[in-house]
Amino acid sequence: MLLFAASRLFRALLTILFVMTFAFFVLRASGDPALLILSVDAPPEALAAFRKAWGLDQPIWQQYLAYIGHALTGDFGKSMRDGRPAIDLVMERVPATLAITLPALALKLGIGIPAGIYAALHRNTFADRMTMALSVAGFTMPSFVLALLLVLIFSVTLGWLPASGNDSPVNAILPIITLGTAGAAIMARFTRSAMQEVLGQPFVRAASAKGLSWRRVISHHALPNAAIPTVTIIGFMVGSLVAGAVVVESVFAWPGIGRLLVSAVANRDLAVVQALLMVIAFWMVMANLAVDLAYGWLDPRVRSARAGGH
Amino acid sequence: MLLPRRRLIAAAGLTTASLALPRIAIGQADNRPSITIAVQQIANSASLEPLREQSNVGTRTFSFISETLIMPNLLGQLEPTPGLAESWKRIDERTVEFALRKGVRFHNGDEMTADDVVFTFSRDHMFGPNYDITSNKTLFTSVVVRDSADGMKLPPEVPAVAKRLFPALEKVEAVDKYTVRFVNRTPDVTLEGRVGSLGANIVSRRAFSEAKSWVEWARLPVGTGPYKVREYTPDQSLILDAHDDYWGGRPPIKSVRMMVVPEVAARINGLLAGQFDFICDMPPDQIPTIEKNPKFEVLGSTIVNHRLTVFDMHHPQLVDPRVRQAFTHAIDRQAIVDSLWSGRTRVPAGLQWEFYGPMFVEGWTVPEYNLDKAKALLKAANYKGDPIPYRLLNNYYTNQVATAQVLVEMWSQAGLNVQIDMKENWQQIFDANKQRAVRDWSNSASFNDPISSIVAQHGPQGQQQQAGEWTNAEMNRLSDAMQVETDMTKRKAMFKRMLEICEREDPAYTVLHQNATFTAKRKDIRWKASPSFAMEFRSVNFAVN
Repeated sequence: MLLFAASRLFRALLTILFVMTFAFFVLRASGDPALLILSVDAPPEALAAFRKAWGLDQPIWQQYLAYIGHALTGDFGKSMRDGRPAIDLVMERVPATLAITLPALALKLGIGIPAGIYAALHRNTFADRMTMALSVAGFTMPSFVLALLLVLIFSVTLGWLPASGNDSPVNAILPIITLGTAGAAIMARFTRSAMQEVLGQPFVRAASAKGLSWRRVISHHALPNAAIPTVTIIGFMVGSLVAGAVVVESVFAWPGIGRLLVSAVANRDLAVVQALLMVIAFWMVMANLAVDLAYGWLDPRVRSARAGGH
Repeated sequence: MLLPRRRLIAAAGLTTASLALPRIAIGQADNRPSITIAVQQIANSASLEPLREQSNVGTRTFSFISETLIMPNLLGQLEPTPGLAESWKRIDERTVEFALRKGVRFHNGDEMTADDVVFTFSRDHMFGPNYDITSNKTLFTSVVVRDSADGMKLPPEVPAVAKRLFPALEKVEAVDKYTVRFVNRTPDVTLEGRVGSLGANIVSRRAFSEAKSWVEWARLPVGTGPYKVREYTPDQSLILDAHDDYWGGRPPIKSVRMMVVPEVAARINGLLAGQFDFICDMPPDQIPTIEKNPKFEVLGSTIVNHRLTVFDMHHPQLVDPRVRQAFTHAIDRQAIVDSLWSGRTRVPAGLQWEFYGPMFVEGWTVPEYNLDKAKALLKAANYKGDPIPYRLLNNYYTNQVATAQVLVEMWSQAGLNVQIDMKENWQQIFDANKQRAVRDWSNSASFNDPISSIVAQHGPQGQQQQAGEWTNAEMNRLSDAMQVETDMTKRKAMFKRMLEICEREDPAYTVLHQNATFTAKRKDIRWKASPSFAMEFRSVNFAVN
């Protein structure tokens, strides 16, 4: 198990290093931060001074080695826009993002899983078709369309909720609903198909034939077996908690990671973009690791396969 | 005579009450409204220091916070008016003396004196420690922004901008507590204009000295404007409180919150939902959406900024100036104004603005729309229809892509084969490794003289020549001569000749239309938009019905 954990950790570190390296070169190849930050009308001497001050006039390999060297000491550089440590800028936005993505995750699970189970247990009924129709509508509608629709109804027409900003907890309601709707729809579809597959398995028929109550068959035999694919999707959702609200944060002017990412990319604030990608990659890798461990907990076969080394 | 004790006590009580009551009355009477303004951005550079934030959005933000000795009349045509200086006079060709307004208070309560003005234009605040007054070279500096976060070293762009604004400023000296004298190294009739431009905003010496770092200063600057900074969160919000000791009268708004809402639709929805009182940076195609609702209106105004099409004279198809002239004659500018701007802007008289005053060249126009003339020019230049690339950004300017598509069609009517080449950023636009031909730009004037525009942007030190797109020997001679010429008749003749060269004979660019900015607001608020990004929120221009 230790060997397994160590190998996963090594792969995680490699993934993060790959993300950092890729981001470093792509960002530098795609635009001059001096022009973007100081504007196209800035005097040429200001542009030259800016590049010199930030080492952008150095060969790119020198810039890369310096960046990796500093990163190893925990220094991810300073924002080119305001001089503050990039990692501080990123971390102070995380709570705002989690304030909408965590409740949205609860909404996704709280609505999506029961709806999926319900649809699977009432297969090919009107309720199943309605649930799936809503699910398809939920995940095919782009989040910015849903966001604007909700604002139009609840802010502009009814005047019940604020259209944007983060002045009070009430401001979070529409972003949470927007994020939660699509996720709940996806969750419902995956849960339904996982449950359907399990319900068709011989062991479910055997459990029923043994005389177990239908409720017990579902809760003790079907659900745990349907949990594996569902946990995979939950893993993705947990992985996107930090960076999964880019569009929604922009539409609702919510000051989280997503908006920071958009503005940092637009301004080619290299250190901030790199710190953001590092944090996002770290979070995603940790979520995947958690999913792997959850597999072992949920499925004894996975556990024994790892223990037996095959 | 001794006063009876009771009378004395009563008198003392009355005196105390008379001192206390007005304050209480003011406190009780402070029923001024607070407003929220949704904007696309507060400051691109995340700082509230005009010497770093030389942008349109910065112009708007700084109009609340800080002021210059000479200020533009925001309710007029931006003509210069007394600001923190009550009056000024020319001592000689190189020297201007300013009589400061007395009783002006900074946001920290200090009185503004000559000492603050001298400090504003000092090395510590503006030019950096390595400023070489005798040098003609553009200076520079080894300071780094990292030091600006930890100490008071200036970010490198600050002295660079200062040097551009005041290329030959020798010294600023205090004559007495309320008089300062600006001395230039060379004769310069534009010194008054420069003193009134964005970046020459007067700051409190004590507040700057007390700041722990330059970044801290730039987040919480102390000026003399009608509103003072309470809290600035870059990319999110700026909260301003009324500066009740403001020299121009008590501000009419208790607090102003500027909120960054990047999406246009979200700004509009927020206004319609009653969350915002004003929304800025409205694209013209959204005006009908707002005005359908009787509670709101859109105020638009042209600003001191013209949209241009810029040529690279070194592209094989554009070497012959007649091809570039054909471009200029094949544009129906009024059609663009009418269709894409709903007629809410105008075709200006070339690269100049009326606020130039005596330097404005009356009777000058953009090249006439004349397809036959364009065709004839192309024929004379022996243009065979070879492709001409048009590097384009995705709506960096309002209506940019739509305008480009219209232009390409218009040029094609004349026989020009222009092909749009979409780019992601300015670096790709300027990339000299591949053939450049046509691109977009906009030009402003930071003060009321052609030096601030045609010379600054198309002269030898201007971006177009620095980028290697265009040059003209006569234009360069005129630019240098105009910097030190003080005879206004000669200067105007020079400017006219520059317009002839750059817009007609050897086109460097062609002006398309004047830019405009649109602000939507509650109709029950009486407020007038300025011909600028700056917003006037003093008592003369705000009331709620």
